[in-house]
Amino acid sequence: MRHYKAFGLNIVSELELPSLILAPFKNADVWIKKGKVSKNGLIAPKRIRPFCQQAPSEIWLHVPGIARFYISQGNKVIVEPYEDADEQSVRLFILGSCMGAIMHQKNRLVIHGNAIRFGDGCVIFSGKSGTGKSTLAAALYQKGYEVLADDLAVIDEQLNVQPSYPQMKLWQDSAEKLGLDICQLNKIRLQIDKYAYPMDRGFCQKALPVKAIYVLNNHKNDQFLLQPIEGADKLPPLKNHTYRPGYLDGLGLKAQHFKLCSQLASRIQMTRITRPSHKFELDSLIENIEMDLHSKSFAA
Amino acid sequence: MSKLNPKIYWLASYPRSGNTWVRAFIFNLLNNKQKDFDMDDLDTGPIASCRKWIEDALGFDISELSHNEIDLLRPTAYRWLSENMSQNGYHKVHDAYSTLSNNSHLFPVEATRGALYIIRNPLDVAVSLAYFTGDSIEKVIMDMGNTDTSACENPRKFHKQLRQSFSSWSQHVLSWVSASNISNLVVRYEDLKFRSVEKFSEIASFLQLPTDEVLIKNALAQCRIDKLQTQELSRPFKECPQSTTRFFRKGVIGDWLDVLNNKQVEAIVNDHRNVMEAFGYLDSAGKPYTTFDTQELKFDSAYC
Repeated sequence: MRHYKAFGLNIVSELELPSLILAPFKNADVWIKKGKVSKNGLIAPKRIRPFCQQAPSEIWLHVPGIARFYISQGNKVIVEPYEDADEQSVRLFILGSCMGAIMHQKNRLVIHGNAIRFGDGCVIFSGKSGTGKSTLAAALYQKGYEVLADDLAVIDEQLNVQPSYPQMKLWQDSAEKLGLDICQLNKIRLQIDKYAYPMDRGFCQKALPVKAIYVLNNHKNDQFLLQPIEGADKLPPLKNHTYRPGYLDGLGLKAQHFKLCSQLASRIQMTRITRPSHKFELDSLIENIEMDLHSKSFAA
Repeated sequence: MSKLNPKIYWLASYPRSGNTWVRAFIFNLLNNKQKDFDMDDLDTGPIASCRKWIEDALGFDISELSHNEIDLLRPTAYRWLSENMSQNGYHKVHDAYSTLSNNSHLFPVEATRGALYIIRNPLDVAVSLAYFTGDSIEKVIMDMGNTDTSACENPRKFHKQLRQSFSSWSQHVLSWVSASNISNLVVRYEDLKFRSVEKFSEIASFLQLPTDEVLIKNALAQCRIDKLQTQELSRPFKECPQSTTRFFRKGVIGDWLDVLNNKQVEAIVNDHRNVMEAFGYLDSAGKPYTTFDTQELKFDSAYC
């Protein structure tokens, strides 16, 4: 059994999870074990999809060719890998889908995005897949900013982002745009051209309060647009950029989630930032963000 | 039709063959409004390769699966989507009708209510596609002749759409029109242009849509290409790619006569002779028709 610290939780895992930070502790919050997982799903599912089912406190996930997972009570992940599945692929779904599911069950607010330290707080960059969230996080990291999380920004009851683990994931195309030598990086799975970009420094291990959320977007024009999102308008993007919002219905947590979103919305500033889609001008994007944060009096 | 009552009508075509026009017609037929059609409202449901549509149906993140792994999951997603649709859906598709490595059909019969296939003269497709993609005519001709041609396939980056395997232009046509296990209707773009009311009525009937002639004519009037072009001048069409500023470029028949040189025409005819012949794009001497009196375009239904 290995002991890790990630997302503010003490995790005991039978499977090795090399991208997480090893840390000794006595009391575990989450157990990850190998075991038998039903081939057919849950006994009384509330929401059914072909490969994923939810019931209050339970999530069943089947990734064909890789593994079946049973995630329950916000503290247990049972994994049954396919015989010929590679460990890398199994791990990837544990750290993504399964941890996302655990966080939902623990009633954390899980935003699909990254979290970057600015002063004594952090800023989340959220947006649809393909809007350049990870590329932006990696570029900010290269500029010396500390990163708390890539992909899943987990917000606890105190509205702090809990640090995830010191690794970003970049498609080859993005890695090359950032000037990284992919020969020096490992693929996250051999089957795809996406790479693990380890953060050897600049991974922020401290939970920090969320100060602002930027929703990344793009359009066909040449201009950058920064539009404040005010009042009740903050709620739809928070809901839409929640990690797999459909799970909440099956888990019976929609009302709780709405409450969390409302609390967060009342405490933070939100801005929609729209960049030209035909050219990913990272420097201009960062410049615009830094200026906007400066105008909001957030020190870097 | 199977007992499962499948709900998905596939609106299939090789790219740049009139698919969006047909979708605009369907949309207007379903939403018989007095006000002018705004192309930004166009919505007949997601394209078959829409990543989000598939991912939401499957219920888990597929962004870290390979193209081949995702393809094996797509039939399950379509089956689930079809089972959970409250009414028939009309979904554009540019993939060829293919069989996967596990021998299942990419577009399963249990999900497929029918397939409308739109075929367009490959000489005009080549011209339109070159403008659309920004590629040279030569490159487009090569792609149309290559059975490995696909879109969104670059494995080094994220794509909002899943990989779409087109195959060659000929194989694309044959894959759909010879899919014997699903009900299909094949229409030529040229017939849609020249015999609009008759052909769009056929389409409406096949897709179980209203067939009243007044409604058909109204829907057609709403999506006349000159109207769509005027709208596009003031703001870009939401589905228009970065490679061009004009989605609704010309839509004319025979544009190839002004654009393609003899060598290019010859290359396309050589690559696609059999299918072009079967669908009436070549005369009895094997030369492409240069006049477009529809009476002369004989439709060979042997493939259907």
